[in-house]
Amino acid sequence: MVRTTICLADLPEGHTATIRDIDVDSPTAQRLLDLGFIPGTKIRAIKKAPMGDPTTFEIRGYQMGLRRSESELIDIEIKPDEKQ
Amino acid sequence: MKNNKIFLIGNPNSGKTSLFNAITGEKLHVGNWPGVTVQKIEGVIRTPEKCTVLTDLPGTYSLSPATPEEKVVLESIDEASKGKILNVVDISNFERNLLLTTQLVELGLKPILSLNCYDLFTKNGGSINLQRFAALTQLNAYPTVARTGTGVNALIDCLTSEEKDPSICKNPSSLDFSEKWKTVLIKCAKSFNIDWAEASPLKKHEILSKFISTSDNNLTEELIKIRNDFAQEISEESKRTIKPTNLACELAMDRYSRIEKLLAATATVPEKNLPKWQEKLDSILTHRIMGLPMFLALMIFVFWTTFSLAEAPMGWIESGIDFLANFAESRLSEGLLSDLIINGIIHGVGGVLVFVPNILILFFWIALLEDSGYMSRAAFMMDRLMKAIGLQGRAFIPMIMGLGCNVPAIMATRIIDSKFQRFLTILLIPLVSCAARLPVLVLLCGTFFPNNPSLWMFLLFSVNISVILLLGHFSNVMFKAVENSPFLLEMPPYRLPTFKSVLDTLKEKAWHFIEKAGTVILAGTIIIWVLSSFPRDIPLSFDYENEKTLIMSVKDETKRQEALENLDSKRELEYMENRYMAKLGKAIHPIMEPLGFTWRETVSLIPGFLAKESVVSTLTVLYLPFSDDLGEAMTKSGITPLSAFVFMLFTLLYIPCLATFGVMWRESGSLKFTVSSLFIYFIIAYLASFIALKVGELMQTADGTALENILIVISSIIAAWYLINITISSISGKMCNSCSQCSACSSCPSKTENCKGGCHK
Repeated sequence: MVRTTICLADLPEGHTATIRDIDVDSPTAQRLLDLGFIPGTKIRAIKKAPMGDPTTFEIRGYQMGLRRSESELIDIEIKPDEKQ
Repeated sequence: MKNNKIFLIGNPNSGKTSLFNAITGEKLHVGNWPGVTVQKIEGVIRTPEKCTVLTDLPGTYSLSPATPEEKVVLESIDEASKGKILNVVDISNFERNLLLTTQLVELGLKPILSLNCYDLFTKNGGSINLQRFAALTQLNAYPTVARTGTGVNALIDCLTSEEKDPSICKNPSSLDFSEKWKTVLIKCAKSFNIDWAEASPLKKHEILSKFISTSDNNLTEELIKIRNDFAQEISEESKRTIKPTNLACELAMDRYSRIEKLLAATATVPEKNLPKWQEKLDSILTHRIMGLPMFLALMIFVFWTTFSLAEAPMGWIESGIDFLANFAESRLSEGLLSDLIINGIIHGVGGVLVFVPNILILFFWIALLEDSGYMSRAAFMMDRLMKAIGLQGRAFIPMIMGLGCNVPAIMATRIIDSKFQRFLTILLIPLVSCAARLPVLVLLCGTFFPNNPSLWMFLLFSVNISVILLLGHFSNVMFKAVENSPFLLEMPPYRLPTFKSVLDTLKEKAWHFIEKAGTVILAGTIIIWVLSSFPRDIPLSFDYENEKTLIMSVKDETKRQEALENLDSKRELEYMENRYMAKLGKAIHPIMEPLGFTWRETVSLIPGFLAKESVVSTLTVLYLPFSDDLGEAMTKSGITPLSAFVFMLFTLLYIPCLATFGVMWRESGSLKFTVSSLFIYFIIAYLASFIALKVGELMQTADGTALENILIVISSIIAAWYLINITISSISGKMCNSCSQCSACSSCPSKTENCKGGCHK
């Protein structure tokens, strides 16, 4: 089984992944943690805005739009069976 | 009667405001929270027995503050713990909303829960066992639908009753810390010589944030040891390596696992808060290609209705005011008092009321867009564009409305949730050229550049837009170091707006504008009136009355009329030249001289504060000695097209009108911010005009050196830009690398490898 680790900003639209880690050094991290962006949580990239940024993600049953500067702080892993 | 205090706390978008409106009969704006310009809103719950004050705290996702608004919430916690806390939980987004509840419980608080949006929850297939939920959490929970008022009465009964629910006793809540966290926190508190059980909620929060902080800096040795031991302990337990700097993450995981356990035991939670059909709707409305054109078409429609449909009622208001003025004129004997009533007060009131149709129509649309959930989608689509001037997507609508009129545009900044972003938008809007400035520019351009006025207009607007871009960019880089709130844009479910909520918004906006901004505008109008009509007794250079009788004897009707008009305008000029306004203008003239302005132009800028149109009418009177026609007169008096262009540029930028000033002040809640903004505009206008003058002068040196000169100017502008940029990055860069609790790193322009997101000593 091949596991790939990338940052959330690079998750293609429509794909699902699992959060692996968050860059806790960033001041934004605490807020993301409070919003439920925690390791082990499934997350799906729903849609990029017409101009490429921000992107909406589905997590814990709700949708949140994040800019690239925020979604770059989150490391994810895509398991092969999770694609699509 | 007894006064009790209740604090309303909840996530943004949880229906907090609707619930607040549904519970309270009477709403009071109580100025700002101490020390910050965040509005404090209180309401009164009246029951036959007593009066209870409900305080609306700013919406927040968690108790770890990221913005000044959220800091207010944290700082109110101690006071709130003495009264009651009403926690609004959007049950259609259950897990995430319970995070805040969990944090409250952890600090030893017992909030009363309002499980709001209950209708949406059940419609999506959710269900909850309320008794079980209450028993496990040890909290009172009431399902409510704030928009319709369902369930609100039961909630009010609970809020106003004195007795404690017997079923809620001292059992530990399932949302509270697990034993192992509690033990370590008690240890932690002890290292500060504090008893955890007795500590105030704020103190507890402080200890907790120290314990989970992401670096060992500023921590005592003892605390570092406790952290290390604890990290070791949970590492062994979970068979993962957990660093003591990663405890924040562990705590978040622990909190969510408590929430998940609770929900698994008590409720069936729908998988998504957006039903399938709404996701489809989303994919159409925010479509990659079609989304933007649809939004822009909608914006054009909103813009057109706001400013065209409002023309009729604005006309009625104006004729009503004229009627009133005429009525007063006919009843009052001529004199100072009647002049004050007619030109100061009646026209001042008219100047306030005339904005109301604009505001009502604009806010009708904004309420619809906001309540339906489309606003978040629009912000989502426009965000990338607005980021270019350092704003966020939600700022698009206010900025565009600024093209029509700055006053409703500034009021519309209410839709921006972050305070910093809101202030920045308020700062930038007055630089957007509004419809009232257009006639001034058209007139002046037509006068001085009869060959191709549109080209010069275009040039003016280009300069205007670059100024907005530059100021936005600069303020963003400069102040990012001070404040850095993360960008989060929640996509709420689509909902049908209710008639009542739209009506509430309209009532509130119109009244708020008249009450708050209206007073400022009225006062300003009266000040300008005083300047332009005092001193009363002006010694005239010759006897006009005598001259009048002489003219009356002229036989020819047209000639007599002409001579009379001529005489009247001459007298008006003489009056104006001696009023305080002209004296003030002459006094500040030396400041304006480097821009090549004559004292006449300087004077005309003062009434321009009341309304930009007054610049033209004042100029017309002041230039009478040269010619009736303003353009001709100004040319005759020796004003070149270049200095006219500079004057137009200055007029465009130098100061917002009085009404805009009033709204800026009241909407920002800060006089300091408003006055410093005025200075900023003035400095910008001065600099831009000065540069334009110098560039123009250089270009006019028509010999072979012209091209050279232009090159010099351009290269020096680029050099200056480069220098300023370097300075800014070194300032914010320094903050980035030196401070311990730095918040600027992720946005730091000089971010280097060793400053990856975090800070280094």
